[in-house]
Parts: sequence; structure tokens; C-alpha cells
Amino acid sequence: MAAPMQLYCWKGDYGLPSVDIDCLTVLAYAKFAGAPLKVHKLTNPWRSPTGILPTLQTRGEGSVSQPSKIIIHLRKQKYNADYDLSAKEGADTLAFVSLLEEKLLPALIYTLWIDSKNYVDVTRRWYAENVPFPLNFVLPNRMHAQRLGRLQLVREDPALEPGEQLEQELYQEALECMTLLSQRLGSQKFFFGDSPSALDAYVFGHLAPLLKIKLPNRKLQQYLSSLENLQLFCTNILALYFPSEIQAPVHTAPTQADGGDMDHEPHKRWNQVMSVLFAMGAMLGYAILTGIITIKSAHPHLQESRHDDVDEEGEEED
Amino acid sequence: MSLAAEAFVSQIAAAEPWPQNATLYQPLRGNQVLMLSSVPQAYLRMCGLPVRVCCRANAEYMSPSGKVPFIHVGNQVVSELGPIVQFTKAKGHSLSDGLDDVQRAEMKAYMELVNNMLLTAELYIQWCDDTTASEITRQRYSSPYSWPLNHILAYQKQWEVRRKMNAIGWAGKGLEQVYEDVSQCCQALSQRLGTQPFFFNKQPTELDALVFGHLFTILTTRLTTDELSERIKSCSNLLSFCRRIEQTYFEEDKDSQSAGSQYSRGPSLF
Repeated sequence: MAAPMQLYCWKGDYGLPSVDIDCLTVLAYAKFAGAPLKVHKLTNPWRSPTGILPTLQTRGEGSVSQPSKIIIHLRKQKYNADYDLSAKEGADTLAFVSLLEEKLLPALIYTLWIDSKNYVDVTRRWYAENVPFPLNFVLPNRMHAQRLGRLQLVREDPALEPGEQLEQELYQEALECMTLLSQRLGSQKFFFGDSPSALDAYVFGHLAPLLKIKLPNRKLQQYLSSLENLQLFCTNILALYFPSEIQAPVHTAPTQADGGDMDHEPHKRWNQVMSVLFAMGAMLGYAILTGIITIKSAHPHLQESRHDDVDEEGEEED
Repeated sequence: MSLAAEAFVSQIAAAEPWPQNATLYQPLRGNQVLMLSSVPQAYLRMCGLPVRVCCRANAEYMSPSGKVPFIHVGNQVVSELGPIVQFTKAKGHSLSDGLDDVQRAEMKAYMELVNNMLLTAELYIQWCDDTTASEITRQRYSSPYSWPLNHILAYQKQWEVRRKMNAIGWAGKGLEQVYEDVSQCCQALSQRLGTQPFFFNKQPTELDALVFGHLFTILTTRLTTDELSERIKSCSNLLSFCRRIEQTYFEEDKDSQSAGSQYSRGPSLF
């Protein structure tokens, strides 16, 4: 047997197999299609073959990185979850995926990355805690800047800033999109009957983070909770295809307050000790260099020049 | 448009009926490479609302959101298909009232597909493909201006479009890939249309207007190669769809040679 294909994606948390939207989409599709993948859960995107996550390393054809390209590749390898769909349903898939990307994705990115409270309290904290040193100082800010820049370009407003009005516009469009999805889903188990397809993977990938990650600014999550069939859809997929994740959540609501502080303690203490040591070392170095403190050495001529400096500084000290 | 402004506009719109002197502004004909004036025009004609077409060189600057074409109705100016549809709805004319919820969801989804794929592909081919950009697009875009403004504006627009393509991940796509995407989109539309006269059976909706506008523009505009129009023509039901709409809604303009109507001198599919 040839080596299985390897998928590199972001680590999971909050009861999800991965915290990233694209990674969730790809993981869900792979489960639906029954593709045998060796999944590497990473917290450092540089360790993936292409530098971005998710990435699929194929057998002999290099690496593929965007979700749509990964799904196309899996289909070519005969792992096709859309085999039973009619041509019209395939066309509907394309249309609804466009709807998701245009209407829902900007609001999701806003709520996770651009909204100040959510970004600082949840997203940045998660990435700063989980990404290894020293990348954790650089990566969250870079991802934030990238997403803000993309939002500015797409809305053609270079001065775009997070604010009440922008939030309302984006959330309104997202609510409309979610309502349309809910109407299309109706009371069915999946979008096209009884077996899941690519569209189910995309919808799951976009809605699951919203459902599971507890955010301080909950407006978008409240919209989702008003649409029961979509909630049921996501929990269904999690229970059926990712049962192992549900049993081992790390950040759950009741313990989050304590859990967060506890996780911070070792870092905080270490940071305090390091900063005190650094400050003391800096002050000592300055003192020695300017001559406030002298080091008695065995060389007499050095001692004389130092004494002059000490006399000058002596007045200040007294 | 912000939500408050939209509500305000709808309120004012509802107050008066559709006037006779509504005007649609678009850039000069020879100027814009791929004109999309057909989209709101088709929609308004399907609603049975009269509108004159005016070509202005500075249409882009007159528009409230910077997008062309836009309509001037009464004392309001509305641009982009979404707001125009809402505006006409407030005046009591709507094409999608007869649809149920599932159909409306599908309509919105397909409109997003067209916007996402076709519109972006059109922009890509015009501005990111070097041959087309240098031979056709920049010339046409800068033709109403004198030197050196024409160069500056053309390059500025090109730079803006390329940045946007970068942001949404299309910069890495080659031209072949873009043509493939357009084919895929056309096939999806063709599947959805099937053998029906319109996308939602007997009545035209804004989706029909949008699809017609884009396809008509692509089919009638000359680019460096005919690859794009060939791909569309390979879906025969889309081609007959476009012809049918042109015949039904734009036929009367062919006979009249009135000065106000610019369309009669325009291109056609026949």
C-alpha cells in the first residue's frame, strides 16, 4: 500500500477537531468521503510543507493547500462525497458555497479577529498560548493584520476600523445568510438527503466555531442559536464523525474563568521573574559603565581613571 | 449603504410612484471594457419600468458608491443591483414575490455565485492578464482623459484591482484556471436553467437580469481572445436564454432611433 496522504491542520479545542474554519471544512469532507488521511494537528504553520494550514501532502504530487483544491484532489483520488448528487445539486453546492464565502465569512472573521473584545480575550489568547515560542509574539498580530487588510480591500474602504456600524452591517448579512441556509436545510438531516456532501462540510466548517467557541461579544452566536435546525446539524455531525473530540474539551464555559487564570499563572510568574532580572541586569550594567560602581581590579592605572569618575559622580550621590 | 440610510431611502421611495424621466448613467460606450449597464437595465425592463440611458465620462465619480451604472430617479440616486432591487420594491414593483423561501434562498445563492465567480473573473481578465490589460483595458479606460492623467488613472486602477485579487486569493490563479472557473460557473447556471424559459420557471427574476447582464456583456465585448465567449457558447441553453431576453425586452429599441436611447447603436447577439 502506498503511504497514506497526510493532512496538516490547526490543533483542535473547545470540543472541535480544529479551531480553523478551513481545516474544519477539509476534515469534515475527508470523514464524509471516507478518505484515509494521516492527520497532523499542528500549532506552528511553519511546520507544514507549504507554510499555511490546512495543507494536504499527496502521494507524489506535492502539496495542496486551499480547501477547494484539497477537496478537488480528494475527489480525483476517488474519495468523493458528492458522487450521488445530481447535476443540479452540484450546481446548488457551488452557489451556496459562494453565498457562504460572500455573506457569512466576513462576519465570522470580524467576530473572531477584528472585534476588539473577542480578539483580545479569546482568539489572540488562544494563539498566544498554543503557538510555540517565539512565534507566539508575532503570529497572532500578523494574522489579525492580514484579516483586517483583506476586509478593508473587499469592502473597498482603506480606512475601515472595527465599529458599531460595520458590525451591524456584517452581522445583518450573516443573519440573512444563516436564515437562507436554515430554510434550505429545512428538517432534513443533511442538505441533500441522508448522506453528507461537500456543502455540508463547508457549512459545518463555518458554523461549528461559532457554535462552540464561547465569545464575550455573543451577537452572532445568538443569531445562530435562534436557528435550531442549523445547531442540530452541527452537533449531529460532531457526534457522528468526531466523537473523540467531544469527550475531551479543554476550554469549557464553567471552568474557563479558573482555567484561564491557572494557565496564565506559570507564564505570568516566569514573565515577572524574567523582567525583574533583566531590569536589574540593565541597571547594574549601566552603573558599571558610567562608573557609579567600580570593580576593584589588579591594574593600578585603571583604578586611577576610575577614581576621577567616582569623584564627579560622588556629589550626586551625597 | 448603511442600514439607517437604506431604511430612509425606502421610506422616501415608497412615497412617490415611478416617474417617467428615470435615467440610467453609464460610462462612455467605447470607454468601459466590459460594461454592466445591461444588468439594471434588464431588471427595470422586466419590471416594466421606463428608463433612459445616458452615457457620461465621469459616471464613476457621480455614482454614490463609485460603482457604475447607477440610476437617477426623482431626486434619488441609487447604484448597484442590490439597492436598486430594494428601491423598486419600495415603490411596489418586485419580481421575486412569487417565490417561496427555498427558492428565494436558491436565488440569492446563485446571485452570489455570479458575483463571486463571473464578476471576479471579468475583473481578472481585464486587469490582471498582461496582454489584455496593456492592449485593451488601459487604452479604453484612459481614453477620455488627457496625458498624463490617463496613464496615472489607468495604472492606479490596475494596481487597485491587483491588490484586491491578491486579498481574495485569485492572484495565484493562471488564466487557464480562471477560464476553467468560468466554465464551471456557466455549467452550474446551465444545469439550474435546464429547459425552462427562466431560472424560476415562468417569471423572470433579478437572477435572470443579473445572468443576462453578465453573459451579454461577455458575449458582445471584444477581448484579445474569444476563449471566454466560446466557453459560454458551449452551454447552448444559456445562449438561447440570452437571445430570448434580448428579443423580448430590448427588441423595441432596435427600431427606434431616438437620440435619448443609446442602446440602439449598441452591440447585439444577432
